[in-house]
Amino acid sequence: MTISRRRILSAAVLGRPAAEPGPVSPEGERLTAVAGVVRDAGPHLIVVETPGGEEERLIVAPWATAWQGAAIEPGEIPSGATVIVRAIRDGKIAERIWVNPVRITGTIVSITPDGKDQVVELDCGPHRGGREVLIPYRASGRLRVRHPKFEPGYLFDAIGERTAEGEIARLPATSQPPYRASAVPPPTYGGAQSHISGTVVWSDGVGDGGPGAAYPMLERSESGCDTSGISCVGLPYLSRGSMLTVRNVCTGRTSVVPIVACGCLAGRFCDRCVECGTSPRGRIAELSAVSFVELGGELDKGCFNARVGLG
Amino acid sequence: MLETIAAAQTPPLVLLLVLGGMAKVMTAHLDTEPNSLGRLGPTALVPPRWRGPVMYICAGGELLLAAGLAVSSAPLFRWGALAFFAISTYVLLDLRRRRPDVGCGCFGEASDRPIGWRTIGRAVVLSAMSAGTVWVPVPALSVLSGMSGTTAAAMAGGLAVLALLSPELDDAVTRLRYRAPCEQRALPESVALSRLMASAAWRAHAPFVTGDRPVDSWRELCWRFFVYPGRGPGGEEVDVVFAVYLSGRRPPVRAALVAEDGTVVVATPDAAPVPVTPG
Repeated sequence: MTISRRRILSAAVLGRPAAEPGPVSPEGERLTAVAGVVRDAGPHLIVVETPGGEEERLIVAPWATAWQGAAIEPGEIPSGATVIVRAIRDGKIAERIWVNPVRITGTIVSITPDGKDQVVELDCGPHRGGREVLIPYRASGRLRVRHPKFEPGYLFDAIGERTAEGEIARLPATSQPPYRASAVPPPTYGGAQSHISGTVVWSDGVGDGGPGAAYPMLERSESGCDTSGISCVGLPYLSRGSMLTVRNVCTGRTSVVPIVACGCLAGRFCDRCVECGTSPRGRIAELSAVSFVELGGELDKGCFNARVGLG
Repeated sequence: MLETIAAAQTPPLVLLLVLGGMAKVMTAHLDTEPNSLGRLGPTALVPPRWRGPVMYICAGGELLLAAGLAVSSAPLFRWGALAFFAISTYVLLDLRRRRPDVGCGCFGEASDRPIGWRTIGRAVVLSAMSAGTVWVPVPALSVLSGMSGTTAAAMAGGLAVLALLSPELDDAVTRLRYRAPCEQRALPESVALSRLMASAAWRAHAPFVTGDRPVDSWRELCWRFFVYPGRGPGGEEVDVVFAVYLSGRRPPVRAALVAEDGTVVVATPDAAPVPVTPG
């Protein structure tokens, strides 16, 4: 039995309509995320081969911008690069392109100097394993400002780019929580709520890269690891296959996103998003890059203030 | 009079040692959260690999002292208790200075609140009580068997002082007053399954079930779902789905036979309204 069937079965037994994944009455232009490998890129047209093998030809809008560790012109995007494109008009016009984006989230295991640069080894949770990231000297200042405890045992979160040499951190995602990764503050009493406000982030480790979310409050038998079920927000228990109704408070867009993975690591971050105002503490979910972009999120910003309906 | 009061403090001392020892064993044994021992004193002061053994040693020492104070008047146990609580006072003061974020761990996980003056005051009072048992070496069981009105009042007074100096009691009261809602409480799958087996919905739908084990089970808010393979009234293959509400003494249980295409073949008639958190 597939996880996606749970949605149909639970709706049937409780006599409620089954929530369909996707945008809910979008405000303004509907956004489409196109992910794939660039086959050809120019100032007016970009050709992207999707993971399904289809070729998407998108017109590059005159106001379109691209990001590859820093702002670049769309015409400078190299062929063979992995991109995520935010497109409008049924996915035909590209207005924002992220080139080889990578989200580096984990617990610091070790920090090794490499000339003026630093190599950081991270533990990215039981499902994502470990990874190494290079922090170039030029980016170290802005990263250290947001990571005052830059030492093993503390959380690390940055946005960077994937290169042939490895993953390179460029920007800090949010301010580092001031406690060790193992000492997550307990949630304050909040009673039962059907909607919870907080921060929603993106990750490149959610499912197979398609639409979906990683949610921290899964039962340990469900997540298959002993680090789930921890969050500094009073979140209710849900399972893979449950639906989250995620509203990006900053853009006013709402989407129904299925839970596809355990957000074991997201639950350890008790931070805020300041994308538009200051959000309440705590990460409610990690979205895949595709779901994040379709809700109007900017991958190089890392988060948006969200209000999430549960179940 | 003073001797009676001093002797009357032995049973509360034994009680606290037993509770503390058992709570420590439970905490070290269950280890419910990763690195939970790293947030409790005095295990926070030792390397991670020693935290479990130190907790067990501490608990063993407390239970040994409790047993000795309960049945024996030997000076070894009385001086041992005095030394234990005096060292505890010093360790708590040191922990408060070096690791102000950790709890004392006196009652295992229940003592996870940062160490305050009440906790240190309790250790001082327990040291004083232990000094009293050195002065009047009467086993706790003897005190209880020959209980007089003065002894009972002194014992109640000692317990009241210890209760006032125990922040764990505040936390326990708070937990009872502000219980986490059902959606946030962990409940083992086996409990929900036993509730399902005892329900009328199970008895009504059991004839449709062809497997003896659920093929899938998951939790969503205050509901747990079980799916069994089955056959519908017409012999077609269906999923027999049960939803068990996880709160209340007689929780509602719903059931439905769902075909491959998602249509409901048979469902339980609606009885009492059941809360469903809106999406």
